[in-house]
Formats: sequence, C-alpha cells, structure tokens
Amino acid sequence: MGLENLKTTLINPKTNNSLTLKTPIIGASGTYGYVDEYENFIDLNCLGAISTKGITLEKRPGNSGDRIFEVQNGMINRIGLENVGIHAFLEEKLPKLIEKKIDFLLNIAGSTTEDYEKLALLANEYNIKAIEVNVSCPNVKQGCLEFGLNPNALFELTKKIRKNYDGFLIVKLSPNTQDIKALATAAEQGGADCISAINTLRGLGIKVDYIANKFIKKSVQGGLSGSCIKPVALYMVNQIKQAVKIPVIAMGGIAKFEDLLEFMAVGADAFQIGTANFINPSICTNLAAQLSNFMDKNNFKDFNELKGAIQND
Amino acid sequence: MAKIMNKKDYKGKITSIKNVALNTYEMKISSDLDNAMCGQFISILCPNKTLRRPFSIADFDKENKILTVLFKLRGEGTQYLKSLKENDTIQFMAPLGNTFKLENKNCLLVGAGIGIAPMLFLKKEMNKKGIKNYLISGFKEENEIIYGSDENVVGGSVLDNLEDLIKQKNIEVIYSCAPTIVLQKIAQLAQKLSIKSYIAMERVMACSIGVCRGCVIKIKKNNEIIYKSVCQDGPVFEGCEVVWD
Repeated sequence: MGLENLKTTLINPKTNNSLTLKTPIIGASGTYGYVDEYENFIDLNCLGAISTKGITLEKRPGNSGDRIFEVQNGMINRIGLENVGIHAFLEEKLPKLIEKKIDFLLNIAGSTTEDYEKLALLANEYNIKAIEVNVSCPNVKQGCLEFGLNPNALFELTKKIRKNYDGFLIVKLSPNTQDIKALATAAEQGGADCISAINTLRGLGIKVDYIANKFIKKSVQGGLSGSCIKPVALYMVNQIKQAVKIPVIAMGGIAKFEDLLEFMAVGADAFQIGTANFINPSICTNLAAQLSNFMDKNNFKDFNELKGAIQND
Repeated sequence: MAKIMNKKDYKGKITSIKNVALNTYEMKISSDLDNAMCGQFISILCPNKTLRRPFSIADFDKENKILTVLFKLRGEGTQYLKSLKENDTIQFMAPLGNTFKLENKNCLLVGAGIGIAPMLFLKKEMNKKGIKNYLISGFKEENEIIYGSDENVVGGSVLDNLEDLIKQKNIEVIYSCAPTIVLQKIAQLAQKLSIKSYIAMERVMACSIGVCRGCVIKIKKNNEIIYKSVCQDGPVFEGCEVVWD
C-alpha cells in the first residue's frame, strides 16, 4: 500500500490509553454512513478509521423537510441524527465492520446522561476500540449540545462515560461556544483520552426569489460545514491545544493537502474529513497518499517526526 | 504511490455540447463507464461549487460508451457545464440510483421541462423491447421544446388533458419525471384511476450515494412512514408509496 509511514498512535499521556491508526486521516461522522456503504467507492483499508454516523440508543427518523442547503464554499445540514439505533447497529452493522477489519470510531449521541451511559456500557461490552462522544450536534432539540456547551455538565458526563467504558474515549466539541478551552479542559478532566473538534457551526441558508409579485423564501437552519469554516476550526484547535495535554483530532473544512499542514501547525495529532467526501469520495485516501509521498520525498520517517518538525520550526 | 480507487468515479471527455432549446443544452460524454440504465443519474463535479450536481441520464450508447445528459441553466453549477467545450474533461460518479421498472403494458410517459431527459432514454428502451408507449411533454414556451416526444404541450400544463389521454389510450402504467408538484398530481391521478405510476424524484443532494441522508423523502411502508433517499433508494419510486407533504 505504501502508507506505512503514516501509522500513528494517539496516546493519553496521563493514563497511556492509546489508539493506533493506520493513517492519521479519519472519515468524519455523518459523511460515511455506517461505513460499509463506501465499499463500492474506495478501499476502506486505506483509511485511518471511519467515524460512524451518530448512533443513539433508540433509532431516530431524522428531520422532515429540506435537510441540505448549499452555501458559498460550504453547506448547511439539518439531518437530525437519523440513525438505526445502537441495537440495530450492533446486530447488523458491527459484524460487517469486524469481518472486513475496518477500523472505526463509534460515534454516540444522547439526550440524557443515562443515554450516554448505556451507550458507553454497550460499546465496552462489545469491545469497541474507540468511541467519539457527540455533545455537539446542533440539529436535535433535546440534550446533546446542552452537554457540549456547559463545562460542568460536560465534565460530569465525561466522568460517567469514562466509568462505563475502558476503550479510547474521544469527546467531540462544538465551536458554538464562547470558551472552547474550558470545554476541552472539562473533557480532559472528566477522563477523555482525546478531543475531536470542531463539529458544525450554527448557520442559516436562505434563498429569496421574487416571482409574480411575491417573495418566495426557502431556508434551512442547521450546521454549517465545508471549507468556509476552516479558519474557525484552526482557531479552535489552536485554543484547545493550549488548554489540554491529550491529543486532538482536527476537523473543519479540510479538503486539500495544505490544510493538513496548517492544522498540524496548530497542533493537530490526526484529522477528520467531512464535507469534502461529498465532493470526492476518495478524498481521504488521496490525502493519505499525498501526505505519505510528501514525507518520503522530504525524508520524514514517520508522522510524529513530521508533526514535531512543523510545530518546532 | 498508494493505490487510489473510486470504483464509480469517472473522468469523461465531452464529445459534443450543443444548445438544443432556450437555455437548454445536450452534452455527450465519452468515458470508461460501460453500463447505465434508464432512471439512473450521474453526479458531476463542478469545481466552482461545494456539491456535485445530479443529472438524469438521457441516453447511453453502450457500444461506444457515450452518455448523454440534458441540462437547463439554473445556477453556477450549470453555468460551469455550459462553459465546457468539446474535448474538455469532466469528472462524474455513475451510474447512480435505481432504475425504471419496465412493464410490458400500455405505457404513458410524461415529461415536463427538463424532466423529459430520462423519459427520452426510457422511450428508447421501450421501443427496443417493443413495449407500447406514448410520450407527452410539457414546455412553457415554444422555444423551450426539447424534441423527441410523441406530443408536446406548450403554454398550458401537461396535466390538463392527461385523464382523457389515459382513458383514450387504455394506459396501464405511467412513468414521469417532472417538478414535484406535477409528479404529485400524476401519482394522485394514477391512484384515482387505479393504475400504476413510476415517478423520478428530484432533491438537493450532498453525497449522492446514500450515506448522508440529506435527500430523503417520506415513503409509506406497511402502515409506517419512513424516509428513503432519492439518490440511492430512488430516484424512481412508485407514485402510491410517496407521502406528499
């Protein structure tokens, strides 16, 4: 495959809890479904991991009405966490992932603390290597983001999840906050092994047409993603890295090789790719190949060395 | 160099692009794609836009591997397509979505505006198989007509005399691609007359391969209402299963 130099391990320095990735490039939640769907498009084994669609305790139908709105250099979505629920995931989807040896993060979301606790317990029971806790979905009415915007609530929630789960615990943060440092610190102190950031920004897209003397309005309010949010993501990752010692998986508008270097410059330890998958379903493998070639060409023997060089120069 | 594979992503060469009606273009693309069925669509990468643009397949020449799409200028995506010239390269995913189910019955095909695209492909396939069919298409103005139908309705609505036409021709199945409101009326008319309808739906799409769940519509299934994606479960649905909000 030629990507051996990209192998990297994320380590919680306090506990030595770790997650080894074939490459630091991970498919972001919501853009890869339950993973196996992408098989027709790319060789999934070229990916560091894939974060599953956000899974809740019970299945959710998602939102009715328009769910997608394209904006300049980005898009707004209001899918509303449509998913099959944890039990269907464990019974129908998980066996395929195991059989095909696809590395994944189980992305979980809940509306109450108990939801998250139960999900964490099930993940533990099924020996799932890593979970990504979604406390940052702007598209559901109850819970989720409520935990993600309050440092005390996030600390308590992380602590409870930690108690139920021994694997690699990632907390995914929302940028819709005044103090990302406080949230990152709360997650770290609650026992998170890693932070992933950022989830989507709150946004509203609206189209106004004037037809037959009448204004016709069409709008979608939801989470903004795509390359337009990259500067916000860079700022947030930089802030988080100043606040915590645990590794950070960066995401938000990554679409090209240069973006990887920019996020590494602010301390990213791995990356997630979201919206760019819609433009090019092979973007993750393309980026991995470009990164690997860059390292070969410039004599960086592994990803850590490259990371160190960018951060220290 | 790592092996990069996207099994459904193609680079195609434009073999012709021509203006066929007001603001309407026909584009022929040559590529390695060797199979495409009527009802399916392709999703074209527009470098100036975040999302790809879906287009129904209007024809597929299997022998020469040439795909035809029709597009009407709507926004920046189609402006990009219009700017392309013969021999330019485009990137697209194909073939996507499900297909029209061909029934060997008395078929009525209904196109409205650019919705005629998949109907032309369907008509050709039906003719090949000797399935009796009649294509009626509606256009706002004379200069917007895309030719290839048995009958064109200009100015009024393609729905106006549809019921009479169905009875007069003993139609047993309707196929249609049109704006959602027209599809709704066709599906409801078909139900009223107790005949089957297959309709090709349109929605804004993000992934176009069934993972993001952005383009879903409500579908009746065993007394339950569920969401199905237009891009993967569709674009063709039976008219009676769609829930119209």
